[in-house]
Amino acid sequence: MNENENNFESLRRLLALKRHEIPPPGYFNDFPRQVMARIRAGETAESWEAAGASWVLKFLQVFESKPAFVGAFACSLCLLLLLGIVYAERPDGTPKSALLASVIQPTISLADATSSVLAPSSAPTGLMISTNPVLSLESVPSLFGQQNSLVQPQSSLVQSVNFWLPGN
Amino acid sequence: MIMAEPAARQDTESPAPVDEEALVRQARRGDLSAYDELVRRYQERIYATVYHMTSNHEDANDLAQESFIKAFQALKTFKGGSSFYTWLYRIAVNKTINFLKQRKNRAHMSLNDLDFNAEHDPDLVALISDKTPRREAGLTELQEKLNAAMLKLSEPHRLVVVLHDVQGLSHDEIARIMDCNIGTVRSRLFYARQQLQGYLSDYLRPT
Repeated sequence: MNENENNFESLRRLLALKRHEIPPPGYFNDFPRQVMARIRAGETAESWEAAGASWVLKFLQVFESKPAFVGAFACSLCLLLLLGIVYAERPDGTPKSALLASVIQPTISLADATSSVLAPSSAPTGLMISTNPVLSLESVPSLFGQQNSLVQPQSSLVQSVNFWLPGN
Repeated sequence: MIMAEPAARQDTESPAPVDEEALVRQARRGDLSAYDELVRRYQERIYATVYHMTSNHEDANDLAQESFIKAFQALKTFKGGSSFYTWLYRIAVNKTINFLKQRKNRAHMSLNDLDFNAEHDPDLVALISDKTPRREAGLTELQEKLNAAMLKLSEPHRLVVVLHDVQGLSHDEIARIMDCNIGTVRSRLFYARQQLQGYLSDYLRPT
């Protein structure tokens, strides 16, 4: 072993250079303060945790430790927003029963428009107001080859309601 | 200022054990001023070890701070089977090795300045006198080559060289810190020196 030590004597002298490497001046004066500040900050975080704010801190800590989660979270938010917009703008997105229910409402009737268009002469002299859009008079074929009963005034589900403006 | 000179070796083996135990007891009870004293006592050696392992001041700063913080948080689990210093060293070493494994192939040197004494160190003067007429430039070049060569070693081999040849710790202490037997320490040291000698052959004088 002594022979080996002698062989490496020159190397050991060179390695002595490492001992002369020093950090910036004043570094060790500030080091304990930084460590203690971080320890106190950790204790503060623990007290917050006890107070019930732990989930927020953990949430933020996950973002700090794994930046990829920030991207994933942002993507999922964007996706949710897009889905919301798409579903909000799709007219067939609502179920048929809900559509029927809205049709049955006495204030605004789908048949109101159709009946007034089909028989304008039979309408009273007063101004008739309907909030429904203009519909095609042709019945819409359904997927199963049956006529769409929604636009047929004879349908038992449809009830016509007219509004009269007084004074006309 | 010279960090962790071999002369400090005796100090590392028994750094005022009574005081240290008392400080550790107080720190375990949550006394931050006692722990502040422990930080002041060991900061230079812990920083130096981490710095020599990473060859990067910023990384060494972060890792040394985190080591002290982790030690404080784990103080309640410290059973006193070894000295606080050895236990703290183990935390710093494990943290550094884990960091270096993650940093693999992304090593970026950020070397500290050399102190005034380096220019007058007779061993170093002898090493560079034949190389360059400008002593300062020679030392800086030597420093870069030496750190680059150190980074080529595997983490366990680099650690043994740092702890023994730079920090001046004994084989026994290194074995306790690295949790291995003395034979392993010796063989790692021999292999690491051989490797370094090969990397730095242009800068070493034949004995």
